[in-house]
Amino acid sequence: MAMIEVKNITKAFGELVVLKNFSVDFDQSGVTVILGPSGTGKSTLLRCINGLETIDSGDILVDGLSVREKKNLKDIRIKCGMVFQQTILFPHLDVLENLVISPIKILGRPRNKAIEQAKELLNKVGLMDKLHSKHNELSGGEQQRIAIARAMMMNPKALLLDEITSALDPEMSTEVLKIIEKLAKDGVVMLIVTHEIPFARRIANRVLFLEYGSVVSDTSNEEFFTTVKNNNERIARFIQNIHH
Amino acid sequence: MFEQYLSLTHYDIYFFLKAIGMTLWITLVSITIGTLIGIVMGLIRCSKNKIVSAIPLIYIEPLRNSPLVTQLFLTYYGLPVVANIVLDAQAAAIITLSLNTGAFFSVLVHSAVKAIPKLQWEAGFALGHNRYSNFKNIIAPQVLRLLIPSAITLYINQLQVSSFVSLISLIDLTKAGHILTLRTMRPFLIYGIVFVLYFAISYPLSKLAQRLEKKVAFNF
Repeated sequence: MAMIEVKNITKAFGELVVLKNFSVDFDQSGVTVILGPSGTGKSTLLRCINGLETIDSGDILVDGLSVREKKNLKDIRIKCGMVFQQTILFPHLDVLENLVISPIKILGRPRNKAIEQAKELLNKVGLMDKLHSKHNELSGGEQQRIAIARAMMMNPKALLLDEITSALDPEMSTEVLKIIEKLAKDGVVMLIVTHEIPFARRIANRVLFLEYGSVVSDTSNEEFFTTVKNNNERIARFIQNIHH
Repeated sequence: MFEQYLSLTHYDIYFFLKAIGMTLWITLVSITIGTLIGIVMGLIRCSKNKIVSAIPLIYIEPLRNSPLVTQLFLTYYGLPVVANIVLDAQAAAIITLSLNTGAFFSVLVHSAVKAIPKLQWEAGFALGHNRYSNFKNIIAPQVLRLLIPSAITLYINQLQVSSFVSLISLIDLTKAGHILTLRTMRPFLIYGIVFVLYFAISYPLSKLAQRLEKKVAFNF
């Protein structure tokens, strides 16, 4: 059984159908990069998996749990941590409290254990010196790294990363992408929506290309950036446009 | 002669102190009750259900859009006529001010909750919080920080409009001023003291509101 099974889902916003009869499975390993033009359903797919959007038809199973049942959403969201395009730290809490509040309140983890894990993760993302900083004392890249650490605090089985560098300048993007590469090397399962082609080439095991709410291509990294790119004009043009 | 004009008896001073006590008492009780009413009504206003969220407006809109004086008169003079309920001046004052405070406070609560970006909610949900946990641990602390300065400003305002209770013969600070003026025939002195006393209570609170606003403010 795949970890995430997206079964024939349709999702529309008013009259705009973003995902139509969409199916795909994600295994319990590796990094899947999701590429495609804007408005093609990439972010919507991640949000549907995390239960932030309700699907109109079909089903999504995360580790066997259906997103259509409200009682499953908490467990699904713990299993699939999500990091957003905009950095959304809780402004009334410092960095440490941002990290520990959810494991303590939701998972019932003892505070000292949560703090221990928070320090480990902050070390990993290179921000141990920002333990007691507030969000407005951090750069965009630092906030995003902390958002990643915060998601990892819940020990998710997979991370859903939705264009996490789009709102950052190139320097901050590089900081964040380094962390993602580190996590990938550590074996964290990830679904990444991104426009960073070189990053995708380096990190992805699998590449999905979406257009008009459907899967145009679903291949390995190597195959996508060679065979598929060479044989599909649309994809080749997309990569060229993004890369410049 | 000016010294004679300024002098007040011990009784006058005691009378003022009692009146300050009454003003503070009815203000404190009514802002406490009003705050609780406002929180409940404000949160109901935040409901996703359009019908449920509209229900508090039946209470809020009339009270926000009519003079406190008329509300006071309706409570004190009107209730005995329409419902055979006779309230003493203090009870009528507290009930009216509480309901009035509640109406304005509910708007503050509703506005503060709506001011929290949707992404804050989504970030909480994405970490596994349900609606209740999200509100309690993530949203409410932020709402409180947004609310505090506006709430203090409202409370200062309610302290000052509480002077209307003098119109139903409750001996608050304003009524005390009226009575002492009639007795001493020194309106400038008496009302000057009343003015200073209201200012002395309100000004530190308004400074506190400013300091708190700076301390708790944050940008999303």
